[in-house]
Amino acid sequence: MASMVLLLSIERIQQATEQGFNQSISGVDAIVGPRSSSLEVVLYTVFHLGRPTNNITMQTVDDIRTRDDIDWLVPIALGDSHKGFRVIATEPNYFKHVKYAGDKPLLMSNGRAFKEISEAVVGADVAKKLDYKVGSDIYITHGSSDAIGKKHDDFSFKVSGILNKTGTPIDQAVFVDLKGYELIHIGWQSGKKIFGLDRLDVSSIPKEDLTPKTVTAAFVGLKSQLTLFSFARELRQYHKEAISAVIPGVALSELWSIVGMVDKGFELLSWIIITISLISMITLIISSIENRKREMTIYRANGATPLYLASLVVFEAILIALSAIIGAVIFVTIITHLASSQLNIALGITPEFQWVSLEEIKVFAIILIAGVLSSLIPAAIVFKKSLHQGLS
Amino acid sequence: MILKTSNLKYKYQNGKTINFPDVGLNPGDKVLINGVSGSGKTTFLNLIAGAIKIQDGDIELASSQYSLMSSSDLDKIRANHIGYVFQTLNLIPFLSVLENIALGVKFSKTRSANIDSIDQEAVRLVESLGLDKSILNNSVNNLSIGQQQRVAVARALLGKPNLILADEPTSALDVDSKNRFLKELVQTFDPSSQAILMVSHDLSLAPYFDTVIDFGKANV
Repeated sequence: MASMVLLLSIERIQQATEQGFNQSISGVDAIVGPRSSSLEVVLYTVFHLGRPTNNITMQTVDDIRTRDDIDWLVPIALGDSHKGFRVIATEPNYFKHVKYAGDKPLLMSNGRAFKEISEAVVGADVAKKLDYKVGSDIYITHGSSDAIGKKHDDFSFKVSGILNKTGTPIDQAVFVDLKGYELIHIGWQSGKKIFGLDRLDVSSIPKEDLTPKTVTAAFVGLKSQLTLFSFARELRQYHKEAISAVIPGVALSELWSIVGMVDKGFELLSWIIITISLISMITLIISSIENRKREMTIYRANGATPLYLASLVVFEAILIALSAIIGAVIFVTIITHLASSQLNIALGITPEFQWVSLEEIKVFAIILIAGVLSSLIPAAIVFKKSLHQGLS
Repeated sequence: MILKTSNLKYKYQNGKTINFPDVGLNPGDKVLINGVSGSGKTTFLNLIAGAIKIQDGDIELASSQYSLMSSSDLDKIRANHIGYVFQTLNLIPFLSVLENIALGVKFSKTRSANIDSIDQEAVRLVESLGLDKSILNNSVNNLSIGQQQRVAVARALLGKPNLILADEPTSALDVDSKNRFLKELVQTFDPSSQAILMVSHDLSLAPYFDTVIDFGKANV
């Protein structure tokens, strides 16, 4: 059973993680960011893992925005946090274009998307954990952690909307307007606060002056997916700045090909353990035959045929295999439930685990058949013994 | 006639050969086979039960000749016509008393057809063997050796098989339990259709039987 638990747990967690990752972003054809590893770009822009090493200029973003093949573009700026949750500075149309789990739009459970520079939208987990409601005031910390960053305590954002639960890293993010984000960084140089906003008349600052000079990346939707690869190729040749266009699906495939190798290793190990378990089962049944000689003799004395006794052994093996399968399903369900919350904490994804998948049914069938085939050895021993042994 | 053996001879792997006396049993017969250890008493019962193949001679039970039968036919003969009681450890520990008794008809449609209800017949048999019917749902592990032997007899008698074979069933019982056991066995079996063939080295049991065959003297 333990070997099956190992096999199924690895399989389920791997599949659920893959599904969770794949569902985290949808509707985005490409992510434009500084030239870097495509996986790295996806991990920090979509999954909020790691830190961006470089930015791209707003001039570049505007150049791309004006291309004919672009349908929409949403810039994002990362770097700050709020009580451990990542802050994503973006434009209001983020909520219109970015989707998840296929084609599901980002909807508000309460309130609306931000309209003003002092407004913020929070993910479902943020609202739940910090007990935020529409109208709550929040302060942003400079940097990715409260422990190392300083608070932008001279400007507060008011929660204007709370997103529905998506099961993606979006649930654990705080969204603010890019202009608001730029505003709170006025007076900051090289991560240090030189002067506070209290010295300024914030309302007198023209909004166009709050357009950031740089952003971390930009999510892009193309008019036609057919132009995706030519778009990516042309961006690599962009001469003003070293940028690249990352296709999220391709980057994630890279990730799964790396993870897949480790996964295959675990899978092989699990099958080896299952084989050893089956051999142990045969040994156990054979050794129990001698102990159960009396039971078999009583059955024989009452007219049981050698075939009946042999079939009892096979039936027993089926029962052991079935018990192991049922036990494994229960254990794996508990393990995956625990894994689900861990994945949510570590990766921000909330994978949905199936009760029993078709793949798992195939694994169960293989184990059951292998169990039955293995039991034929002790069954043959019982059959032969019954034919030649008396009733004493 | 229920049972008839003729010219039975059995050669063991060590070369020792036993010639068995001819035995014939009619309904109501109670025969005790007596003899020292190694005289072939248990082998004789195994041959009659069809558990080991006859090498020489023949056995006829319920008009069927063993020499003409396959091992699966012999399994059927045993299931339909023989009730077997062992020396000890007669019961399967993980089954209840009733389930152990019901084993007697599990493999035989003939014996099943002889009774209307397993439960009712089991109650009748355990009560006539001096047990309380409340033990039927008990675990067999809670029974004394004497009670276990009586449950084994109830199983052997269930469905009225023609022949009751008993292999030293009283050897683990004290004198009182032994006498009680035999008295109840003789009272419970149906002399109109059944016969008892018991092997024992204990000649004090002779008064309960019509015939005593001494294998010690009979064997060559």
